[in-house]
Amino acid sequence: MIGETLKGHLDLLLLAVLQSGPAHGYAIIETLRLRSAEVFDLPEGTIYPALHRLEAQGLLASDWSDDTGRRKRVYRLTPKGHEALSQRQQEWRRFSQAINQTIGI
Amino acid sequence: MKTPIQTYLQTLERDLWLRGLHDPQALAEIKSHLLEAVEREQARGLTLEEAQAAALARFGDAKIVAGAFEKERKAPMQKILLIIGLLAGLFLAYVDALPNWDDTGVLAGMLLLTSGLLTLLGYRRPWLMALAVGLWIPLHDIFISHDWRMLLVLLIPQVGAYAGWAAHQVFRKTLKVA
Repeated sequence: MIGETLKGHLDLLLLAVLQSGPAHGYAIIETLRLRSAEVFDLPEGTIYPALHRLEAQGLLASDWSDDTGRRKRVYRLTPKGHEALSQRQQEWRRFSQAINQTIGI
Repeated sequence: MKTPIQTYLQTLERDLWLRGLHDPQALAEIKSHLLEAVEREQARGLTLEEAQAAALARFGDAKIVAGAFEKERKAPMQKILLIIGLLAGLFLAYVDALPNWDDTGVLAGMLLLTSGLLTLLGYRRPWLMALAVGLWIPLHDIFISHDWRMLLVLLIPQVGAYAGWAAHQVFRKTLKVA
Protein backbone atom coordinates (compact mmCIF):
# COMPACT_ATOMS: atom_id res chain seq x y z
CA MET A 1 0.00 0.00 0.00
CA ILE A 2 2.71 2.49 1.04
CA GLY A 3 4.89 1.38 -1.88
CA GLU A 4 2.14 2.06 -4.43
CA THR A 5 1.19 5.41 -2.87
CA LEU A 6 4.84 6.38 -2.71
CA LYS A 7 5.45 5.80 -6.41
CA GLY A 8 3.16 8.72 -7.28
CA HIS A 9 5.28 11.07 -5.18
CA LEU A 10 8.73 9.64 -5.80
CA ASP A 11 9.84 12.55 -8.00
CA LEU A 12 9.00 15.09 -5.28
CA LEU A 13 10.83 13.02 -2.66
CA LEU A 14 13.96 12.59 -4.78
CA LEU A 15 14.07 16.29 -5.68
CA ALA A 16 13.55 17.21 -2.01
CA VAL A 17 16.40 14.97 -0.86
CA LEU A 18 18.74 16.59 -3.39
CA GLN A 19 17.71 20.07 -2.24
CA SER A 20 20.15 19.59 0.66
CA GLY A 21 23.03 19.13 -1.79
CA PRO A 22 24.51 16.73 -4.36
CA ALA A 23 24.44 13.04 -3.48
CA HIS A 24 24.96 9.65 -5.06
CA GLY A 25 22.27 6.99 -5.38
CA TYR A 26 23.11 5.09 -2.19
CA ALA A 27 23.13 8.28 -0.11
CA ILE A 28 19.82 9.44 -1.64
CA ILE A 29 18.16 6.14 -0.76
CA GLU A 30 19.60 6.19 2.78
CA THR A 31 18.36 9.76 3.29
CA LEU A 32 14.89 8.79 2.05
CA ARG A 33 14.82 5.89 4.48
CA LEU A 34 16.12 7.90 7.44
CA ARG A 35 13.91 10.98 6.88
CA SER A 36 10.84 8.77 6.65
CA ALA A 37 11.81 6.74 9.74
CA GLU A 38 12.12 3.68 7.44
CA VAL A 39 8.53 3.96 6.23
CA PHE A 40 9.67 4.63 2.65
CA ASP A 41 11.40 1.36 1.88
CA LEU A 42 11.07 0.72 -1.86
CA PRO A 43 13.32 -1.83 -3.57
CA GLU A 44 16.49 0.26 -3.93
CA GLY A 45 16.96 -0.72 -7.55
CA THR A 46 13.75 1.00 -8.59
CA ILE A 47 15.10 4.40 -7.52
CA TYR A 48 17.78 4.50 -10.24
CA PRO A 49 15.40 4.46 -13.22
CA ALA A 50 13.53 7.40 -11.63
CA LEU A 51 16.80 9.31 -11.12
CA HIS A 52 17.74 8.69 -14.76
CA ARG A 53 14.34 9.89 -15.95
CA LEU A 54 14.59 13.08 -13.87
CA GLU A 55 18.01 13.64 -15.41
CA ALA A 56 16.63 13.08 -18.91
CA GLN A 57 13.94 15.68 -18.11
CA GLY A 58 16.65 18.17 -17.15
CA LEU A 59 15.62 18.35 -13.49
CA LEU A 60 18.83 16.66 -12.32
CA ALA A 61 22.39 16.58 -13.60
CA SER A 62 25.04 14.03 -12.71
CA ASP A 63 28.81 13.62 -12.74
CA TRP A 64 31.01 10.66 -11.97
CA SER A 65 33.26 11.16 -8.97
CA ASP A 66 35.92 8.89 -7.45
CA ASP A 67 36.87 10.99 -4.43
CA THR A 68 36.26 8.08 -2.07
CA GLY A 69 38.19 5.51 -4.10
CA ARG A 70 35.08 4.12 -5.76
CA ARG A 71 33.42 5.63 -8.82
CA LYS A 72 30.06 7.09 -7.90
CA ARG A 73 27.51 8.97 -9.96
CA VAL A 74 26.65 12.10 -8.03
CA TYR A 75 23.33 13.84 -8.75
CA ARG A 76 22.47 17.47 -8.19
CA LEU A 77 19.43 19.67 -8.79
CA THR A 78 19.52 21.86 -11.88
CA PRO A 79 17.89 25.33 -11.88
CA LYS A 80 14.93 23.69 -13.66
CA GLY A 81 14.89 21.05 -10.90
CA HIS A 82 14.75 23.75 -8.19
CA GLU A 83 11.78 25.34 -9.95
CA ALA A 84 10.02 22.00 -10.34
CA LEU A 85 10.62 21.21 -6.66
CA SER A 86 9.08 24.43 -5.36
CA GLN A 87 6.11 24.02 -7.69
CA ARG A 88 5.56 20.42 -6.54
CA GLN A 89 5.96 21.42 -2.88
CA GLN A 90 3.19 24.00 -3.32
CA GLU A 91 0.97 21.46 -5.07
CA TRP A 92 1.60 18.96 -2.27
CA ARG A 93 0.78 21.54 0.40
CA ARG A 94 -2.59 22.31 -1.24
CA PHE A 95 -3.32 18.63 -1.85
CA SER A 96 -2.45 17.45 1.68
CA GLN A 97 -4.41 20.32 3.28
CA ALA A 98 -7.46 19.38 1.23
CA ILE A 99 -7.14 15.70 2.17
CA ASN A 100 -6.66 16.54 5.87
CA GLN A 101 -9.70 18.82 5.88
CA THR A 102 -11.77 16.20 4.10
CA ILE A 103 -10.92 13.30 6.38
CA GLY A 104 -11.00 15.46 9.52
CA ILE A 105 -7.38 15.36 10.72
CA MET B 1 33.86 -18.52 -9.01
CA LYS B 2 31.42 -15.63 -9.33
CA THR B 3 30.17 -13.72 -6.32
CA PRO B 4 26.39 -13.29 -5.87
CA ILE B 5 26.85 -9.61 -6.81
CA GLN B 6 28.55 -10.54 -10.11
CA THR B 7 25.84 -13.10 -10.87
CA TYR B 8 23.15 -10.51 -10.11
CA LEU B 9 24.79 -7.91 -12.35
CA GLN B 10 25.04 -10.41 -15.19
CA THR B 11 21.36 -11.30 -14.81
CA LEU B 12 20.38 -7.64 -14.73
CA GLU B 13 22.55 -6.89 -17.78
CA ARG B 14 20.84 -9.72 -19.67
CA ASP B 15 17.35 -8.59 -18.57
CA LEU B 16 18.10 -5.01 -19.62
CA TRP B 17 19.54 -6.18 -22.93
CA LEU B 18 16.45 -8.28 -23.66
CA ARG B 19 14.36 -5.12 -23.15
CA GLY B 20 16.62 -3.19 -25.52
CA LEU B 21 18.04 -1.16 -22.64
CA HIS B 22 21.74 -1.95 -22.75
CA ASP B 23 23.26 0.69 -20.44
CA PRO B 24 26.84 0.17 -19.17
CA GLN B 25 26.68 3.43 -17.16
CA ALA B 26 23.63 2.27 -15.22
CA LEU B 27 25.26 -1.10 -14.55
CA ALA B 28 28.44 0.59 -13.29
CA GLU B 29 26.31 2.76 -11.00
CA ILE B 30 24.41 -0.25 -9.67
CA LYS B 31 27.63 -2.19 -9.12
CA SER B 32 29.02 0.71 -7.10
CA HIS B 33 25.79 0.86 -5.06
CA LEU B 34 25.85 -2.87 -4.28
CA LEU B 35 29.52 -2.86 -3.27
CA GLU B 36 28.89 0.09 -0.95
CA ALA B 37 25.84 -1.66 0.51
CA VAL B 38 27.90 -4.82 1.18
CA GLU B 39 30.60 -2.76 2.93
CA ARG B 40 27.99 -1.07 5.13
CA GLU B 41 26.36 -4.38 6.04
CA GLN B 42 29.76 -5.86 6.92
CA ALA B 43 30.50 -2.83 9.07
CA ARG B 44 27.29 -3.67 10.97
CA GLY B 45 28.72 -7.09 11.76
CA LEU B 46 27.42 -9.35 8.98
CA THR B 47 29.66 -11.87 7.25
CA LEU B 48 30.50 -11.29 3.58
CA GLU B 49 27.90 -13.83 2.44
CA GLU B 50 25.21 -12.37 4.70
CA ALA B 51 26.11 -8.84 3.63
CA GLN B 52 25.85 -9.73 -0.07
CA ALA B 53 22.52 -11.45 0.46
CA ALA B 54 21.16 -8.47 2.44
CA ALA B 55 22.36 -5.94 -0.15
CA LEU B 56 20.77 -7.89 -3.00
CA ALA B 57 17.51 -8.39 -1.10
CA ARG B 58 17.21 -4.64 -0.49
CA PHE B 59 18.07 -3.80 -4.08
CA GLY B 60 15.27 -5.94 -5.49
CA ASP B 61 14.93 -8.75 -7.98
CA ALA B 62 16.77 -8.15 -11.28
CA LYS B 63 13.56 -8.59 -13.27
CA ILE B 64 11.74 -5.97 -11.18
CA VAL B 65 14.63 -3.52 -11.55
CA ALA B 66 14.89 -4.11 -15.32
CA GLY B 67 11.11 -3.69 -15.53
CA ALA B 68 11.35 -0.37 -13.67
CA PHE B 69 13.97 0.85 -16.15
CA GLU B 70 11.74 -0.20 -19.03
CA LYS B 71 8.70 1.52 -17.54
CA GLU B 72 10.57 4.79 -16.98
CA ARG B 73 12.02 4.84 -20.47
CA LYS B 74 8.98 3.68 -22.37
CA ALA B 75 8.23 6.31 -24.96
CA PRO B 76 5.28 6.42 -27.38
CA MET B 77 7.87 6.54 -30.16
CA GLN B 78 8.75 2.89 -29.46
CA LYS B 79 5.19 1.77 -30.23
CA ILE B 80 4.98 3.99 -33.31
CA LEU B 81 8.25 2.60 -34.73
CA LEU B 82 7.09 -0.99 -34.13
CA ILE B 83 3.75 -0.33 -35.85
CA ILE B 84 5.58 1.24 -38.83
CA GLY B 85 7.79 -1.88 -38.96
CA LEU B 86 4.75 -4.16 -38.89
CA LEU B 87 2.96 -2.23 -41.64
CA ALA B 88 6.11 -2.10 -43.79
CA GLY B 89 6.62 -5.85 -43.31
CA LEU B 90 3.02 -6.59 -44.32
CA PHE B 91 3.36 -4.31 -47.37
CA LEU B 92 6.55 -6.07 -48.48
CA ALA B 93 4.86 -9.46 -48.06
CA TYR B 94 1.95 -8.20 -50.18
CA VAL B 95 4.38 -7.06 -52.91
CA ASP B 96 6.18 -10.40 -52.73
CA ALA B 97 2.85 -12.20 -53.22
CA LEU B 98 1.94 -10.28 -56.38
CA PRO B 99 1.84 -12.74 -59.31
CA ASN B 100 4.10 -10.71 -61.62
CA TRP B 101 6.68 -9.70 -58.98
CA ASP B 102 9.95 -11.61 -59.12
CA ASP B 103 12.63 -9.19 -57.99
CA THR B 104 13.85 -10.96 -54.86
CA GLY B 105 16.95 -8.76 -54.59
CA VAL B 106 14.91 -5.58 -54.22
CA LEU B 107 12.74 -7.16 -51.51
CA ALA B 108 15.78 -8.42 -49.62
CA GLY B 109 17.26 -4.92 -49.80
CA MET B 110 14.00 -3.40 -48.56
CA LEU B 111 13.86 -5.82 -45.60
CA LEU B 112 17.45 -4.90 -44.71
CA LEU B 113 16.90 -1.15 -45.09
CA THR B 114 13.53 -0.94 -43.34
CA SER B 115 14.59 -2.87 -40.25
CA GLY B 116 17.94 -1.03 -40.16
CA LEU B 117 16.36 2.41 -40.50
CA LEU B 118 13.78 1.81 -37.75
CA THR B 119 16.38 0.66 -35.21
CA LEU B 120 18.69 3.47 -36.30
CA LEU B 121 15.85 5.85 -35.40
CA GLY B 122 15.92 4.46 -31.86
CA TYR B 123 13.81 1.30 -31.65
CA ARG B 124 15.36 -0.59 -28.77
CA ARG B 125 14.64 -4.27 -29.53
CA PRO B 126 16.34 -5.21 -32.80
CA TRP B 127 15.21 -8.86 -32.63
CA LEU B 128 11.57 -7.81 -32.33
CA MET B 129 11.84 -5.24 -35.12
CA ALA B 130 13.42 -7.88 -37.38
CA LEU B 131 10.44 -10.17 -36.70
CA ALA B 132 7.90 -7.36 -37.24
CA VAL B 133 9.42 -6.47 -40.61
CA GLY B 134 10.59 -9.84 -41.84
CA LEU B 135 8.23 -12.51 -40.56
CA TRP B 136 5.42 -12.06 -43.08
CA ILE B 137 7.23 -13.03 -46.30
CA PRO B 138 8.46 -16.41 -45.02
CA LEU B 139 5.12 -17.06 -43.27
CA HIS B 140 3.24 -16.53 -46.52
CA ASP B 141 5.69 -18.68 -48.49
CA ILE B 142 5.59 -21.47 -45.90
CA PHE B 143 1.78 -21.38 -46.04
CA ILE B 144 1.89 -21.74 -49.84
CA SER B 145 4.86 -24.08 -50.38
CA HIS B 146 5.41 -25.68 -46.92
CA ASP B 147 9.11 -24.94 -47.39
CA TRP B 148 10.43 -24.22 -43.89
CA ARG B 149 13.80 -23.16 -45.29
CA MET B 150 12.07 -19.85 -46.07
CA LEU B 151 12.63 -18.97 -42.38
CA LEU B 152 16.22 -18.23 -43.39
CA VAL B 153 14.85 -15.03 -44.94
CA LEU B 154 14.57 -13.76 -41.35
CA LEU B 155 18.34 -13.44 -41.24
CA ILE B 156 18.17 -10.44 -43.59
CA PRO B 157 16.07 -8.14 -41.34
CA GLN B 158 18.03 -9.42 -38.31
CA VAL B 159 21.27 -8.19 -39.89
CA GLY B 160 19.63 -4.87 -40.81
CA ALA B 161 18.04 -4.37 -37.39
CA TYR B 162 21.22 -5.11 -35.43
CA ALA B 163 23.33 -2.93 -37.77
CA GLY B 164 20.88 -0.02 -37.29
CA TRP B 165 20.78 -0.59 -33.53
CA ALA B 166 24.61 -0.66 -33.34
CA ALA B 167 24.84 2.55 -35.37
CA HIS B 168 22.29 4.17 -33.05
CA GLN B 169 24.40 3.21 -30.00
CA VAL B 170 27.50 4.74 -31.63
CA PHE B 171 25.61 7.98 -32.40
CA ARG B 172 24.31 8.15 -28.85
CA LYS B 173 27.77 7.67 -27.36
CA THR B 174 29.31 10.20 -29.74
CA LEU B 175 26.67 12.79 -28.90
CA LYS B 176 27.10 12.16 -25.15
CA VAL B 177 30.86 12.61 -25.38
CA ALA B 178 30.58 15.72 -27.55
